[in-house]
Amino acid sequence: MIRYLSYIAPLLTFVILLILWEFLVILNKIPLYILPAPSDIFSSLLVNYKDLFSSAFVTLRITIIAFAIASFLAISLAILFSQSKLIELSLYPIAVIFQVTPVVAIAPLILIWVGFDNAEYAILILATIVAFFPVLANTNLGIKSVNNNLHELFSLYGASRFQRLIKLQIPFALPFILTGMKTSIGLSLIGTVVAEFVAGSGTSTGLAWRIIEAGNRLDIAKLFAALILLVILGIFLFLLISYIEKIVLKKWHDNSIR
Amino acid sequence: MLIFKGITKNYKEPVLGPIDIDIKSKSFVSIIGASGSGKSTFLRIASGLISQSSGSISYKDNIKPKMGFVFQDSTLLPWRNVLDNILLPLELTKKINPESLEKSHNWLERVGLKGKGMSFPGELSGGQKMRVSIARAMVQGGNFLLLDEPFSALDEVTRRRLEDDLLEIWETNNITVLFVTHSVTQAVYLSQRVVVLSSGPGMLLEDLAIEKNFKDGFEETPQFLSQVRHLTNILKEEGGEI
Repeated sequence: MIRYLSYIAPLLTFVILLILWEFLVILNKIPLYILPAPSDIFSSLLVNYKDLFSSAFVTLRITIIAFAIASFLAISLAILFSQSKLIELSLYPIAVIFQVTPVVAIAPLILIWVGFDNAEYAILILATIVAFFPVLANTNLGIKSVNNNLHELFSLYGASRFQRLIKLQIPFALPFILTGMKTSIGLSLIGTVVAEFVAGSGTSTGLAWRIIEAGNRLDIAKLFAALILLVILGIFLFLLISYIEKIVLKKWHDNSIR
Repeated sequence: MLIFKGITKNYKEPVLGPIDIDIKSKSFVSIIGASGSGKSTFLRIASGLISQSSGSISYKDNIKPKMGFVFQDSTLLPWRNVLDNILLPLELTKKINPESLEKSHNWLERVGLKGKGMSFPGELSGGQKMRVSIARAMVQGGNFLLLDEPFSALDEVTRRRLEDDLLEIWETNNITVLFVTHSVTQAVYLSQRVVVLSSGPGMLLEDLAIEKNFKDGFEETPQFLSQVRHLTNILKEEGGEI
């Protein structure tokens, strides 16, 4: 029962909120350009579905590519860190600098460097930068968290560095990596949208551009429709990584079984 | 035979020794002592996992015995099934051959886990995990088994079963066992000889040959109880937490 309740309760709350929203807008006669009713947003979604869905696809594509590149680079770098303390000490602070620098602040610079004609590359780079750090930090932590007895076990059998990495450290770090990826996928989407905002009109065709465009035209229903698509994309990506995590770790870890 | 001569270990301060002790081949020796007496450190030095600060270890015919180690926790890799866990030492030492799987199955059967080869550690009880850990330590065909308080986290009944299984493995495989424990009764029940270490730095306090018969009910004999009492008194006099 509790299992079903965890689905039903939030869904029911959401539906009640939507109904309340609908009635509040109608009762208070709030103009469409201030706050459209859920029914107006749904209509707008139906009317503009071609534009919105093609833009959502652009945003989704960049988000996934940026996420894949960020994950690959971050895992590779964390593995490199595990092999050399000197490399870790030298490069980790640089990674932290990228993490703490607001993407909005460096976006114009990246845009200038890659050229306004290649805005999509700039967006990709920015989203990659935003998505990079959680995977790096978590992979690094995972590799370092290997139980000392397990290290001793591998030492006892004379395991080489490579054997230790492949058969112990990386598998041990996998739950940490996937946790990092769950954070990273959301950040990748945020990074893509922020970068699209900065790239501005004419250069980007993602959902952020649809939001700017709708805002400029006071088409708030369309703006909300784009926003809803973004939320759906975010939830879809998070659930996708959670599902992959569940499949991959199904039999690996005690807490995943119970 | 292993001969430890003047073994010491210092970290920031001395934690062990100097210790002089001989371990005869095919014997079952337990090491007991208060917390911080360096029991586990001695075991790790014996296994070669850490090196001693001074002193020497020599082996019969200068051949280092093939060692298996059982840790306090089972140290199974949760992402590998039971069979793959048992095969790990053979994999790491690149001794995987067509007979390896058969060897693993044999050991699985010997530790009472026949049919559990495809299970994952997360699906096993604490006692079963420890059995897999023993099978893994033995699969290489080693002749020296080192155990570091392996049954301390198990319930009484499971512990007793595993103790009997360990005795059976020792007897039938002609191996040498070095067993670290904080339980005096366990040490007397299992061993032919009990070595008592003083609290840090751990030095040899007592080296007691256990008079025992291996028939059932040894732990209820006056012989057993007097030896337990003797060792307990030594530890009490020494002070510190066991």
